[in-house]
Amino acid sequence: MSEMKNQAQDAIEAILAGYEKLGYISDEQIATALFLAQKLEKPLLVEGPPGVGKTELAKATAEYLGLDMIRLQCYEGLDESKALYEWQYGKQLLYTQVLKEKLGDLMEGTSSLDESMARLNNFEDVFFSEQFLQTRPLLQALQNENGAVLLIDEIDKSDDEFEAFLLEILSDYQISIPELGTVKAKKAPLVFLTSNNTREIGDALKRRCLHLYIPFPDASRENAILQARVPELDQQLRDNIVNFVQAVRQMDLKKPPAVSETIDWARTVVLLNISVLDAEFIRNTLNVLLKFRSDIENVEGEIARLMRETQITPDTPIQ
Amino acid sequence: MIADFIRILRAADIQVSPAEAIDAAAVIEEMGLGERRLLKHALGHTLAKTQFEKQAFDECFDVYFRPPEMDMGEGAAASDNPDAEAPEQDTSSQDSAGDATDADASDASDGDEGSDGSDAQESQTGDQPGDPTGEAKKNSKKSGDPANDKNGEGEAEAEVSSLIDMLTQKDTAALQAAISEASQKVGLADAKLFTQQGMFSRRIMESMGLSLLDAHIRQLEDNGETGKAEGLREGRGQLFEAVFDFVERQIAMRTKNAGRLLREDALSRIRLSNLDRSDMKIMRGLIQRLAKRLASRHSRQRKKSRRGMLDIRRTMRRNVAYDGNLFELSWRRTKVERPKLLVLCDVSGSVAAVSQFFLMFLYSLDEVMPKTRSFVFSNRAGEISDMMREGDMDQVMEKALREFGGGSTDYGMSMMDFAEATLDTIDHRTTVMILGDARSNYGDPGHLVLKEMHERARRVIWLNPEGESSWGTGDSEMKRLGAYCTHKQVCNSVKHVERVLDDLLRLST
Repeated sequence: MSEMKNQAQDAIEAILAGYEKLGYISDEQIATALFLAQKLEKPLLVEGPPGVGKTELAKATAEYLGLDMIRLQCYEGLDESKALYEWQYGKQLLYTQVLKEKLGDLMEGTSSLDESMARLNNFEDVFFSEQFLQTRPLLQALQNENGAVLLIDEIDKSDDEFEAFLLEILSDYQISIPELGTVKAKKAPLVFLTSNNTREIGDALKRRCLHLYIPFPDASRENAILQARVPELDQQLRDNIVNFVQAVRQMDLKKPPAVSETIDWARTVVLLNISVLDAEFIRNTLNVLLKFRSDIENVEGEIARLMRETQITPDTPIQ
Repeated sequence: MIADFIRILRAADIQVSPAEAIDAAAVIEEMGLGERRLLKHALGHTLAKTQFEKQAFDECFDVYFRPPEMDMGEGAAASDNPDAEAPEQDTSSQDSAGDATDADASDASDGDEGSDGSDAQESQTGDQPGDPTGEAKKNSKKSGDPANDKNGEGEAEAEVSSLIDMLTQKDTAALQAAISEASQKVGLADAKLFTQQGMFSRRIMESMGLSLLDAHIRQLEDNGETGKAEGLREGRGQLFEAVFDFVERQIAMRTKNAGRLLREDALSRIRLSNLDRSDMKIMRGLIQRLAKRLASRHSRQRKKSRRGMLDIRRTMRRNVAYDGNLFELSWRRTKVERPKLLVLCDVSGSVAAVSQFFLMFLYSLDEVMPKTRSFVFSNRAGEISDMMREGDMDQVMEKALREFGGGSTDYGMSMMDFAEATLDTIDHRTTVMILGDARSNYGDPGHLVLKEMHERARRVIWLNPEGESSWGTGDSEMKRLGAYCTHKQVCNSVKHVERVLDDLLRLST
C-alpha cells in the first residue's frame, strides 16, 4: 500500500513540476485530477470562472505529455456531423457519376438483369467507406495512434443532445458509425471538458467525468503565474499588480478580472515601460483588466482606496 | 468503508451513483490511503461534481477520515502522551460546570481540529478546550458503570486482553480501529436519532469487552496492584469518552440532512398562506430548484423540434443546375415559437400572505421563459420585468412590494393599466397569466378587459390561491372573470406551481 502511495505521490509531483516547466502554474488539486484522469482513463470536467486557465490546462497537458491536441469548440447547434464525421457527399456523387460511365464496361457479357445485379453485388461497397469519410475532431481523437488530448471546450454551450451523444464516446472511447460499424479508440485519448457554467451540465455526463473546479488563484499562485508568463516584469511591480488585482476581485463586479486579464495587464505594464504603478496609469489601463463599463466606473472611484490597501504608494519610486 | 463513507455523503445531499462509488474505490486503489490530503483531492474530483457538493464533501471528508490520533485526542489525548497530560487532568477534574456546556464545547473543538490538521495535536495547549469537558463526561460515566459489570461474561478472553494491551500501551490507532470495528458490529450505521447516542456508545463498549475489562480491573485491585488498576481505569474512562465522541460524530454526520429533507418535503405541500416567515428561505431554494428543473426540461423540448426534415421539393429545385444530381440538400425546419408570456400578479393586501410567494414564482418564471413580461398590481398595475432582470430575488421582491404592494385591490383599474400596456402585443402566441384571488372589493372586476384579452390571446390562465369552494363567495369575482379564462387553477403550494408551470411549458412547444 505504501509503495503505491509513493508512486501516486511521485507521479503527482512529477506532473506539477512538468507543468511548471511549461509555464503553467498548477496546484496539487489540478495535478491530482490529471493523474487520476490518466490512471482511470476518465474524462476530466473542468469548471471555473472564465479566464482561469481551463483551456490552457489542456494545452499544457498536451505539451507535457507530448500528444496532439485536438480541440472541439462547442456552440449551440453543434451536432455529430460537425463533431464526429460527415460523408463527403460531393465526392460520393462524383463517384457514382464515374461509376455510371464505367457501368457499361463492367456489365459487359451479362445477359440478364439478374446477372448484372449479381455482378454488381460482388463489388465491395465503397460508397460508404473510409474514403468518403470526413473525420471531425472526435473521430480524429479516437483514431490517433498515440492517443491525444481532446479538448471539448465550453461544453455548456452545446445542446443537451450533443451531451447525450458524448456519453458513448466518453465512457467507452468508441463510437458507432452506422454504415461502418463501431470505431474503437486505439488508445484512449485524454479528454478535457470545460464549462463556464452557463448551463447545468447533465448528471449523466457529470457522473462519467472527474470534476475539477479551478477557482481564481490566490496571491502567491498568481504571482508565480505572472513570473512564468511575464518574466520581464520586476518583482516589486509584480507584487503590486497581484495585490491590486486580488483586491479588485474582492469588489462586487459583474466580471471580476481573471488570470488572463492579470497577465494582459502585466504585459501592458511591460510594454509601456512603466516603472511605477500610479493612479494615473491604473486609471488609463483599467480597460485591460475590466470588461464592463459599469465595472470600470466602479473601480475608478476606488482606485485610491485600493492602492492604499495594497500599499502601492504612488510616491515611492520602484527600483 | 467506502460504502459507509458514501452513505454519509449521500446523507449530506451529495448525489453519488453506484458507478461513482466504483470509481472512488478505483481511486483509493490508485492513491492508497496513506496520503490523506491527496486522497481528499482525488476523491473530491471523483465524487463531488458541483461547487456546493465540493464544500459538503470537504466537510464530510474531514470528519470521516480524521486521522486516528485526532479521535482519541478529543477526549483522551492523554493516552497519546500520558506523562505530560496526566497531572493536568487531575487539576482540571474539578470542573463540574463543564458538564452543562458539554455538547457545545466538544462541538466547537470538533470543528477546530477537523479543519486545521495536526497542529492542534502537537501543541499541548491545543487540547485544552476539549479537556475539561472530556474529564467531566468521563466522571459522569464512571459513576454509572458498576451496574453493568456482570453483562456479557462470555466475551473472548483474547479480545479483552488485546483491549487491555491497547489501553496500557496507549495504542491509539489500534483503539480507533477497534472502535470502528465494534461500531460496525453493533450497526451504528443504522442510527437515525440523536437519542440513540448513549445506547450505541454502550453497545460499542460492550462489544469491545467492557465487562471483562471491568472484571480485570477489579481483579487487579483485589490483588493489590492498585497502580495498574488505576491506570487501566483511567484508560477505560478515556476510551469511554472516545467512543461517545465517535458515536456522536457519526450520528451527527448521518442525520445532518434528514431533517431538512423532511422539512422541504412538507413545505412543498403546505399551503402558502400558512407558511412561516422562517420557512421562506427554504422555500426560495425550493422554487429556484424548481425553476431550474423546468428550464432544463423545457429547453430539451425546444431543441428537439428544431432539427428539420429533408425538403424534397426545395432540394430538387435547387439542384436543377447540377443536372438533377442532389448536391445541395435543403432541410425543412420547424420553426420554434417560444411562447410570449404576460403575467399579472396581485400584490394587494388581501393576498399579502401569498404575494411573496407569487413574486418568487414570477421571478423563477422569468428565468425559465425569458420572454416574460411581468406586471404587479394592487390598485394600479406596473411593469416589473426590467426590475426582475436587474436584481436578485430579494431585492426585486422588496422593491416590487414597496412600490406596488399593500394597497386595496382594484381589479378594474389594474386590468385597464395592464391592457393598455400590453393589449397591442397580445396575439395568438401569447399566454396571459393572472395570479390573484379575484376579490375586487365589490368594484369593477375588469371582466370586459379580460374578455378582450381572451379573444386575442392564445390562452388566459388564472391561478387562484383560494380553494375552489370559495370562488364566487363574497366579493370574489372568480366566476365572472373565470368565464374568460382558458384555464383556472387553484395554486397555493409549490407542488401546484410545478404542475402549472410544467403544463404551460408543454403546451407552449
